[in-house]
Amino acid sequence: MATLLTVRANLVDATKPYSGVGAVPADYMSLVLGNDYLVWSEDLEDKMTHEPTPEELNAHGVIISDVANKLVPECLVVDYDGGWNTFFTNLLIGMGIDKRYVLCFSFDGETANEPQLEAWDDSDHDSYAKHVLGAGVPANSMVKAKCTTGGLPGANWAVAGTGTSIAGSGATRIVKLNDGNGALPALETGETSQELYANIGIVIPVSYATPSVESFVLTVRYTWN
Amino acid sequence: MSKRPLFVLVLEDDTIYSGGDFTNTKWNEIPLNKKIKRIFYSLTNKDCLCLDGYDKYFHMIEATTDLSGKESGKVRIEFAYILGRKEDKITAYKINVKNGNILRTEYDKEDSFICGLNVNGWK
Repeated sequence: MATLLTVRANLVDATKPYSGVGAVPADYMSLVLGNDYLVWSEDLEDKMTHEPTPEELNAHGVIISDVANKLVPECLVVDYDGGWNTFFTNLLIGMGIDKRYVLCFSFDGETANEPQLEAWDDSDHDSYAKHVLGAGVPANSMVKAKCTTGGLPGANWAVAGTGTSIAGSGATRIVKLNDGNGALPALETGETSQELYANIGIVIPVSYATPSVESFVLTVRYTWN
Repeated sequence: MSKRPLFVLVLEDDTIYSGGDFTNTKWNEIPLNKKIKRIFYSLTNKDCLCLDGYDKYFHMIEATTDLSGKESGKVRIEFAYILGRKEDKITAYKINVKNGNILRTEYDKEDSFICGLNVNGWK
């Protein structure tokens, strides 16, 4: 059967994995993709009791710095039905900083090769022209990602430039989610899933000249036999 | 009208094994004790791609899932791959399941694409 993917967001403690030694699966919210979504913001309120309005999102838009490259301070999960502790906005703990267990990709079986993370303008997966994705130059993408399946991403990793600028599907502009170790094996006896992790940050260049409101699509590409 | 299987195999004893569909290919249920002699792989235009004479064969389906946007959460099947290995050389056919285009590529066994494949998928 096809291997299924579930995306989970750590909303409590980014030092705790979803599975394995020291696991705290209750810290993770399983995203209902198609309804739940991510918002990148300067300071949108955590734990709102309603879905943020466009006016609220605009009021908390990211402010471009004229001093230094700017790591977007917040990434929030918007829970469409307020089902996570009755709150509609929940801070994704550790996003963009030196935390390991942030975004979790659970696979319910083996894969045929290594899953990878990509970023695109939209669901057509055929362009990366938006400013946030480097305006056509993938190496300039503001979306930085790092596989953290095997360890911490490192201090100040996103701003320091040790992450990968992701845009499109070029070999150097995607992130392999199993640390380059290839396909996921068959599940061990008693396991129901196996987990890969990534951390993502958006870094806006100093004095970036084109303010905008942009969306982009994060994509996981994966395989089965 | 019955649906065509994704692939039909002729095994070494001339028995026939039929695959399933994109989400349940039945590739991993191929009898391990019988070598594959020939593969007829179904294409979207109703033709078949035939691979014959290789030592080992590999098959995989490639899908994407978006975390946002209008297709968010959907499992979108984009490509099917069928590979044949003879000694140190691998021939790969990458089939675009949307438009039917096929890309044929030759690999060495040490190529990173080949090394990254799940060894259990070789039959």
